[in-house]
Amino acid sequence: MSVGKPLAHDSGPLHVTGAARYVDDIPVPAGTLHVAFGLSHEARGTIAAMDLSEVRSTPGVVAVLTANDLDRPVDVSPSAHDEPLLSTGEVHYHGQPIFLVIATSHRIARAAARRARVEITPRPAVLTIDDALEAGTYFEGGPVVWTRGDIKSALEAAPRIVEGQIEIGGQEHFYLEGQVALALPQDDGGMAIAASTQHPTEIQHKVADALGLPMSAVRVETRRMGGGFGGKESQGNALAVAAAIAAARTGRPCKMRYDRDDDMVITGKRHDFRIRYRAGVDEDGKLIGVEFEQFVRAGWSLDLTPPVADRAMLHADNAYFIPNMRIVSLRLRTNTASATAFRGFGGPQGVLGIERVMDHIAHELGMDPLKLRLANLYAKSGKDETHYGQPVKGFELADIIGSLAESSDYHKRRAAVAAFNAENDVLKKGIALTPVKFGISFTLTHLNQAGALVHVYQDGSIHLNHGGTEMGQGLNQKVAQVAAEGFGVGLGRVRITATDTGKVPNTSATAASSGSDLNGMAVKAACDEIRGRMVRFLAETHGLKPKSILFKDGKVHLGNQRLRFVEAVQECYMGRVSLSATGFYKTPEITWDRVAGKGHPFYYFANGAAVTEVVIDRLTGEYRILRADILHDVGTSLNPAIDIGQIEGGYVQGAGWLTTEELVWDDKGRLRTHAPSTYKIPACSDRPAQFHVALWGRKNHVPTIYRSKAVGEPPLMLGISAFLALSDAVAACGEVYPALDAPATPERVMMAAKRVAG
Amino acid sequence: MYAFEFERPRTLDEAVAALADDDAQALAGGQTLIPTLRQRLAMPGKLVSLTAIDALRGLSASGGVLTIGAATTHAEVAQQTDYPALAKLAGGIGDPHVRNRGTIGGSIANNDPSACYPAGVLGSGATVVTNRREIAADDYFTGLFETALDEGEIITAVNFPIPDKAAYAKFDQPASRFALVGVFVSKGKDGVRVAVTGASEGGVFRWAEAEAALASDFSAGALEGLSVDPEGMIGDIHGGPDYRAHLIGVMTRRAVAAAG
Ligand SMILES: Cc1cc2nc3c(=O)[nH]c(=O)nc-3n(C[C@H](O)[C@H](O)[C@H](O)COP(=O)(O)OP(=O)(O)OC[C@H]3O[C@@H](n4cnc5c(N)ncnc54)[C@H](O)[C@@H]3O)c2cc1C
Repeated sequence: MSVGKPLAHDSGPLHVTGAARYVDDIPVPAGTLHVAFGLSHEARGTIAAMDLSEVRSTPGVVAVLTANDLDRPVDVSPSAHDEPLLSTGEVHYHGQPIFLVIATSHRIARAAARRARVEITPRPAVLTIDDALEAGTYFEGGPVVWTRGDIKSALEAAPRIVEGQIEIGGQEHFYLEGQVALALPQDDGGMAIAASTQHPTEIQHKVADALGLPMSAVRVETRRMGGGFGGKESQGNALAVAAAIAAARTGRPCKMRYDRDDDMVITGKRHDFRIRYRAGVDEDGKLIGVEFEQFVRAGWSLDLTPPVADRAMLHADNAYFIPNMRIVSLRLRTNTASATAFRGFGGPQGVLGIERVMDHIAHELGMDPLKLRLANLYAKSGKDETHYGQPVKGFELADIIGSLAESSDYHKRRAAVAAFNAENDVLKKGIALTPVKFGISFTLTHLNQAGALVHVYQDGSIHLNHGGTEMGQGLNQKVAQVAAEGFGVGLGRVRITATDTGKVPNTSATAASSGSDLNGMAVKAACDEIRGRMVRFLAETHGLKPKSILFKDGKVHLGNQRLRFVEAVQECYMGRVSLSATGFYKTPEITWDRVAGKGHPFYYFANGAAVTEVVIDRLTGEYRILRADILHDVGTSLNPAIDIGQIEGGYVQGAGWLTTEELVWDDKGRLRTHAPSTYKIPACSDRPAQFHVALWGRKNHVPTIYRSKAVGEPPLMLGISAFLALSDAVAACGEVYPALDAPATPERVMMAAKRVAG
Repeated sequence: MYAFEFERPRTLDEAVAALADDDAQALAGGQTLIPTLRQRLAMPGKLVSLTAIDALRGLSASGGVLTIGAATTHAEVAQQTDYPALAKLAGGIGDPHVRNRGTIGGSIANNDPSACYPAGVLGSGATVVTNRREIAADDYFTGLFETALDEGEIITAVNFPIPDKAAYAKFDQPASRFALVGVFVSKGKDGVRVAVTGASEGGVFRWAEAEAALASDFSAGALEGLSVDPEGMIGDIHGGPDYRAHLIGVMTRRAVAAAG
């Protein structure tokens, strides 16, 4: 059995020795050129004049292109066709690419770009949520509204109303490997691209469109990324397209990568949100109705905002049954980098909204927050349908929470925290338990498909290819385990190969946590197909029933006889059996009407819960995460080591989002935090001092790949427990509800503690 | 970075001569200057390294005074035991890389409003020694990135009178680890000093009210009720003026408590 083993990441040794090859490490042919963008220095305006003569005359510069120099309009958006590669006269954000420089080195290209004289007539920029509300700059024609039940009567009838608002900051992806693409022109006019992307098919599509070629003339390859987190779903398009255009023009290989500062300035981040809430509860804390307004700062272009904002609405219930609900979502256009996909894809903001409501209600009612949460969890008998009409099945949270509360000693520690706080004036502790229920599937139904290509060679070695991309999450290892299992051989026989649009076409982005679910199934289908052909042939030649042939322990069992796998393969080869197959998978059961906000958009839900304990210094606002306990549901794990890694990383990244990671734009719309010296991501030393992660062992109730569950995004939301633990610690400073905004920087924590103390 | 000449003299006289050039600039650990050059914010024609001049290096203590050569690194100062509060300050600067390269002379010549040494120097009532004169700390720091140094003047050493009690309390800006607010307090034969860095738009300063309160009663309790006016405090991406003003009070009390 390879499936279910806690095997290390297949590239682990390469990662730690530095031998793992990323796009920028690929040896390039002699004569390779480098591309850099010239960027806008205004957030909004019209280009009045552009003098690029000094850029052009810089030694080493081969060509300089503006939008006017392109043969055709070139768009780099994922779908809306609203993102010209280079500004066509209007400037929409500070950092928008205006022209591109092709030069003999990366440094020369960048240095030359700075010698441009671009005059932009500024116009008043719409930067904040309030600016956008005032200017009325909405995407999608205005608010998107979903309702369930009768919210008006519900709130009127509710004995208690709790209302408030939370500001939720964005988040920089901070993938260690920045955006990069390399374009190699082919002798037949085609283009080969190596890109750090979660979405090779989209790169292929955009490059083909930019060059006026059919998709069949463009091949995109991605061996691995040094992190993606959603930041390489659409944000790599511009680099690949620019490099391809430069390569097509010059006939030479062209490479483009952003330096860290440029990367942070140019590319989109997690959407920042403001969530306003009005909740009606009875005296026991049962929710009667909740009304949400979600204000979404989308940035200048549409990018992936509609599905991100939809997912925030879809997760506005998190794990709770809310009989009456109204969610208003405003997708606001601002003159900032276009916000994009980020691990959780709007889900985390939606979940934080309702978890904040629960925390606030518990405070108002003087109730234990855990008791309140348990009282409102989805349950059987009429409390098992979401606000968008999907039945909640295989819901494990009541058991998970119960088990976690016990293993983490929640109740005892809550009492200990209270005792500590009674005795300490400056240091205050806080503890919080929050659950997550996260919907698995792309909400755009057609994206839920995947392909794979498997070859078995004459020597018994197996070549594995699928449409997913490896970004450090361990997808390739999990999928290789599936392939090894399929043939009953050791993992050593399976060769993992780079994602390649020439091998598996029409893939979806590796996103929505779906990588292993979709590609694992496609690989299994391909392996089953080849194995089926082998079985039929061997049954015939050996005079056996197909059922009696087993692939196990590196052997093929033919009744009493055993062949080594390679011997069986050779017999099949000599017998002219095709040993190559594609596999395909599409997720069953899902339907979704996004306008009505009704349907069955998710194949299933992943669950988990976390307890975090923190201590704050109320006088400075500094804090530490003392301990985190997590119990997370991955169904039957394909690889527990990789899953636990994903859970730990997700928690730390989620806690970072809500604590130290603060993005600051100034009043000119310039991002001021564009380097690690000003933007603080969690380091190894910021992880909880005590960190206990365990897997909930029950199998998935639907037939996913070996009954496992997706693990990429859901654990990020476990970090919300750190944020609410901080809120709990602040609450210990006085009577008033802390109403903490995110990120809870030391300054915010200190100010909230002061406010609470009155 | 623009092109420049480079010299590495062995004696102070040679360094003084090399720096007589209008276009020349001293280079110590390069932890501030090199990033500045890389961003093309400065364009010296010549860099004169001070790190090969023995007379500028090392520490010595005698008669209650600790003398630190200008080209002594933060890491070296962190290891000395004559003035523990200063050792602690130096050991908390940046990261090991910065501490192994950066120097005390470079730090106070630069006088970054968020740097630690200016608080240590002013808070100790130290004397800055140059190739031309001795400058009392109170006269030395004249504003943001401004000092009393003249063109071509080289810091050779800093003399710290070792106080009876002292401590430095620093609130790290979490991303860069510079001081968001740092307070150095000391109690010596010339009285109490409280020097604050990181907070004021005017650079490092002495908090007179706190010094007065502590003069009669050197305890955290003596500071009860004292606060700093947020007016004139720095407001930037890392924190607002109110927060900084508040932190000055907190860090001062903590420094006093730590000084014992
Ligand atoms: C990541 C990072 C974190 C840091 N964190 C902190 C921190 O927490 N606290 C803190 O205090 N500092 C911090 N620093 C700054 C650090 O202390 C620098 O080393 C110091 O400011 C400059 O010292 P240097 O020797 O490198 O000087 P250089 O960079 O070589 O020179 C700086 C300036 O001083 C001049 N100069 C140098 N020596 C002399 C001399 N003897 N006489 C006259 N002029 C001279 C130079 O001409 C130049 O103008 C940090 C720096 C970095 C890069």
